[in-house]
Order: sequence, then C-alpha cells, then structure tokens
Amino acid sequence: MTAANGVIVALMAVMFLAFGYLGVPVAFALMGGVIIGTLFTPVSLPSIMTQLFNGIDAEALMAIPFFLLVGELMTSANVVVRIAELSQAMVGHIRGGLAQVVTVFSMFFSGMSGSSSADVAVLSRTMARPMAQEGYDAAFVAALIAAAATIANLVPPSIMAVVYGAVGNVSIAGLFLGGIAPGLMVGFGLMIYCYFFGPPGHRRPRATLVQFGDATKAAALPLVIPVILLGGILTGWFTPTEAGVIAIVYILTVVIPLLNRGHLRHLPRDFAHAGLIYSLPLITIGAASAFGWMLAYLRGPIVVSGWISAVAGDNPYKIMFSLVVLFTIVGDFIEPVPCIVIFMPIVAALTDTGGINSVHMGVVLIVTLAFGLITPPYGLALLMASKFVGVRFSQALLASLSIYIVFFVTIAVCIFFPDFVLWLPKHVFPESVGCFKNPSGLGYICPS
Amino acid sequence: MPPPHLPSLVLDRQRHLKWRAFDRVEQVLMVMCGLALAGFSCTVFFDVVTRSIGRPVLWVQEVTTTFFVYGIFIGTAAAARRNDHLNLSAIADSLDGPLRVLVETFTRLVVVAVGLCMVYFGYINFLEGFHAYRMPSLTPLASLYAPIPISGAFVALFAIEQLVNGWRNGFAGPETGADDSMLAESDISL
Repeated sequence: MTAANGVIVALMAVMFLAFGYLGVPVAFALMGGVIIGTLFTPVSLPSIMTQLFNGIDAEALMAIPFFLLVGELMTSANVVVRIAELSQAMVGHIRGGLAQVVTVFSMFFSGMSGSSSADVAVLSRTMARPMAQEGYDAAFVAALIAAAATIANLVPPSIMAVVYGAVGNVSIAGLFLGGIAPGLMVGFGLMIYCYFFGPPGHRRPRATLVQFGDATKAAALPLVIPVILLGGILTGWFTPTEAGVIAIVYILTVVIPLLNRGHLRHLPRDFAHAGLIYSLPLITIGAASAFGWMLAYLRGPIVVSGWISAVAGDNPYKIMFSLVVLFTIVGDFIEPVPCIVIFMPIVAALTDTGGINSVHMGVVLIVTLAFGLITPPYGLALLMASKFVGVRFSQALLASLSIYIVFFVTIAVCIFFPDFVLWLPKHVFPESVGCFKNPSGLGYICPS
Repeated sequence: MPPPHLPSLVLDRQRHLKWRAFDRVEQVLMVMCGLALAGFSCTVFFDVVTRSIGRPVLWVQEVTTTFFVYGIFIGTAAAARRNDHLNLSAIADSLDGPLRVLVETFTRLVVVAVGLCMVYFGYINFLEGFHAYRMPSLTPLASLYAPIPISGAFVALFAIEQLVNGWRNGFAGPETGADDSMLAESDISL
C-alpha cells in the first residue's frame, strides 16, 4: 500500500466515524465515507453502486428476513409469554428468581429470533415490569437483559453467523453448531453469576410436576421452531433460507391459529414491519461491502494482516488473540455486521496463515462481537436495554461491568480449547468443519 | 380538508419533522415492504415445494431475488422517513440551541448527498445494467439495479423534509420517546 492509499483509507475511516458519531445512520455514513474515498481513486462511482448491490446479492443472506419475521410474529402474537412461563416454572424457584428466568427465557427465545435487538425488545417488554415490581435494581435489569440477549448471536439461527458464513464462505451450519456451546456457556454463566452475585430476588415455590407439565405443554408448539430451523438445515433438507420459510409457514398455519387465532388479522401489519426491519441490517451490509471492497482495492487488508502476522507469526493462538483484541476495539465503535463484512478479507488471510479452522475462528469472533454489544461506547444491546428499562446508560454500564467476566471466560475457553467449539459440528455435521469421509467407508477424517 | 386518519403503519414519532402530505407515501412504502416480504416468502416456499416434488422451476429464483432486493431498498426509503435506521450515536439529542441545529443540519445534508449520489450514479449503473443479463430468463440486470436510484430519491426527499421542518419547528420534539412508551403499551406480561 502506498502512502497515498494509506491516506485515503484513513480518510474513509475518519469520515465514516465522524458521520456516524454525529448521527448519520450507519449505512449512509459508510456510503458517505466510501464515496469520498472513491473521489481520490480511479474507481468510478457507478461501480460503487454495483458493489452496494453485490453486497446484498447473496443467497445465504436471504435467510435474514425469515429469522427476523419469526421473531416479529412470535412477539406480536404474544406467543412468547408461554416460553417465559415455562422458564419461570423451570428456574423461578432458584436464588435470583426472575433474573434466572430472564436468562433461561433468552436461551429459549434466542433459538427462534437470531437477533439481539429482538431479544432485548422482547425481554424488556416481558420481564422488565415484573422485575421492577419485585424491587430489582433497574440498572441490573438492563445489564442482565442486554447480556442475556447476546446469546441470540451465538446460537442458531444467529444472523451474525449467517452474515459471517455468507461473506466469508464459511459453513453456516458449522457456525450454528459451533455457537451452541459458547451460547450455553454464556447462559449458564449468567445464571451462576445471578445465583452468587445478583440480588436474591423473590424466590417462587418450586413448580410441581403438574405445573411444569402444563407450562411445557403450553410452550410446546413454539418450541418446535428451533427444531425446524436447525433440524432442517442439519439434515440437509433445507438451506437456512428454506428452513426459515418453513418455520414461517409452521407459525402461520399451526402456532398462531391454535394459540392466538385473533392475531391473524394483524398479519399484514407484521409483514410490513418485518419487511422494514430486515432492510436495515441488509442495506448496512451492502454499504459495508462497498466500503470493504474499496479497502481491499487500496490493499488495506494485506497491510493490516501483515502487521498482525508480524506480531503473531503463524501461531494460531496469537493470531486469534490479536483478532479478538482488534474486534473488541473495532466492535466498540461500529456495528457487528459491517465489522464482519469490512474485516473479512483480513480474517480470511490470517485464518489461512495460522492454519485455523474457519468455523473455530468464526465462532470466536462472533462471541467477541456479541460481547461488544454490551461494552461502551457503542454497546447496542445495552443502549437499547437501558432505554427500554428507563435507566441511564452509564448506570446500566456500571451494573454490567462485573458481568463481563462471563464473556472473558467464554472467549478464552473458545480460543484455547478448539474442541469446545468444534466438537458438536464434528459429530453432527462433520463436513461443515472440513472433515471428509474416510475412503475406507468408516467415519470421517478431520483436519487436526 | 383534514387528512384522513391513517392506521398505525405510519409512525407518529417526530411528527414535528414531517409533512402530513407525505404520510401517504410512508404508508404506501410500508405496504410495499409487506408485499415484498410476502412475495419473497411465497416464492421461496414455492421453490421448496416444486423442488421437493422433483419439478423445480428455475425462474422462481429470479423472482425471489427481485422481491428480496426491492424489499431492501423500499425498506431503506421507508426507514429514512421513520428514522428507523441503525445509528452509532444520537449525539444531537443531547445538544441544545444553535449547535444542535448545526449538527442536525449537517447530518441531514450528508444523507441528502448520499441519496443524490444513489440517484445519479445508481441511474448510470442502471443504464449499464442493460448490457448484462440474468439467467435463465435473460432479463437485463438493470431490473435489479432500478431500486437503487428510486430509493435514493426517497431518502433525499425525506431528509429534506426533516431538514425544512427542523428549521421551522426546531429539531427537538415535544414527545417523550416512543421507546419509553413501548413498555407502557405492552400487552405482554407474566
């Protein structure tokens, strides 16, 4: 990269951050940055529009509208309450009370929504008021809701995993399966945190077997949705997009008619809202992809990956640690989705240099970006939760500092114990992590 | 004559920055968002069914892509009027007086500029799209590039709407914030 290229890259980054932090929406801030950068290169501006289009013209990204629509329909039809009640029957009697319920509820709902923003909205609407009535500190409530909502980015059908897989040409099924263990670890980590360090809360009597059975029965139909989504993909019957549409058909023909028939007349509104909501991350992906393309044109990724290689050599742990630091810093300032799209060329180059399994690398970075959703200055989940709960962001941030330990431990375990991430994909869908069938016909051969 | 009452598809938040005359445009865009998503869902489902019965229809995938792409750009335009786009910060909300007017004006002008770039360069890109074709129907790729300049025009228009109304009525609104009311209006409870 020449000095001139370096100046243009710096100019693009500065313009994007300046626009973004002054209040220009992310997609337009990215486009503003790339348009200004392009003026100093021989690249034509119409070709930047082509890159904007190419960024969204990916089959795998078509799953995103369906995952968001699943969350919208489940919330709008008020079906999520059944899952909250099941969570309460399961863990409402444990120390922490509703704090435990929030975490378990999020673990269930994450299996349907794929988006932290949707989780924050649902958890806030469902749990914030009862927790306030039981005397929980509002800052703690916001911090817990935000932290629990990050699970949606780790477990299937994580939209971050879809974007990472589509942009990085990594198996989405592998990322889905690889994210389950870290997702559960964050969930159980939060439960342990609430048990030992959270407010004691109001402990309910342990649910009887009959009450537990009733709650399970009431939530049974919605709980089939994660099975459809993951099962369809893993059996090879459906692509993620097709699994999404099958889940929608199931909700429209079974869940809503049986559980809330009156909601059927509101479906046009749900589709209109979901139609709007899905455009937001996708136009950002398009803009980020144009931005990333221009960075690649200016040879930025080669230079940055060269810097990291100079520090970390080809040691996979050092490379991963360097990328975690990079993504933690960058993720503190920009959205996870554009972050993935812009930095993917760097990640891909370093994944090859270190001989790292691409699913392992993807899961580690997704966990890191999910953590970025609750760190300042731009912790989107924490910002949303503090707004919904009605507490200052700084107070919610203070309350969440001690929760960070759960994420530090999870990220460290993911880096240093690759099998923690790869064990499940290796055993359920070996091809997704690069294994291939043994020519002798017995089992699979997996790269070490 | 007072404008007709519109159902909840038109967002009432930041009413002081909006002209009622454009409410109908927002409503139409929202309806088109819903139609795009419904059409997209139907074609993907149709694709699954036809493939499962061993009679795949190749052109369905082109229709699917069309709904998908148009939905994104229509949604982008609608979100511009509703201020629903993802933001890194809302620094202007914490400002007062002339400084706020300056920041709000600057951010809207950036959006107008980006919108106009989408119109002009998107239109050139659209014209170039007549020389490339989608398979298997041989429809010009321009059919997929078309929503970029259209969306850009709406984005610029809505940013100008907010700019003019902001100068007239002030950018700070009287509302308490829709996000706060979300909890109050919630019918979800344990």
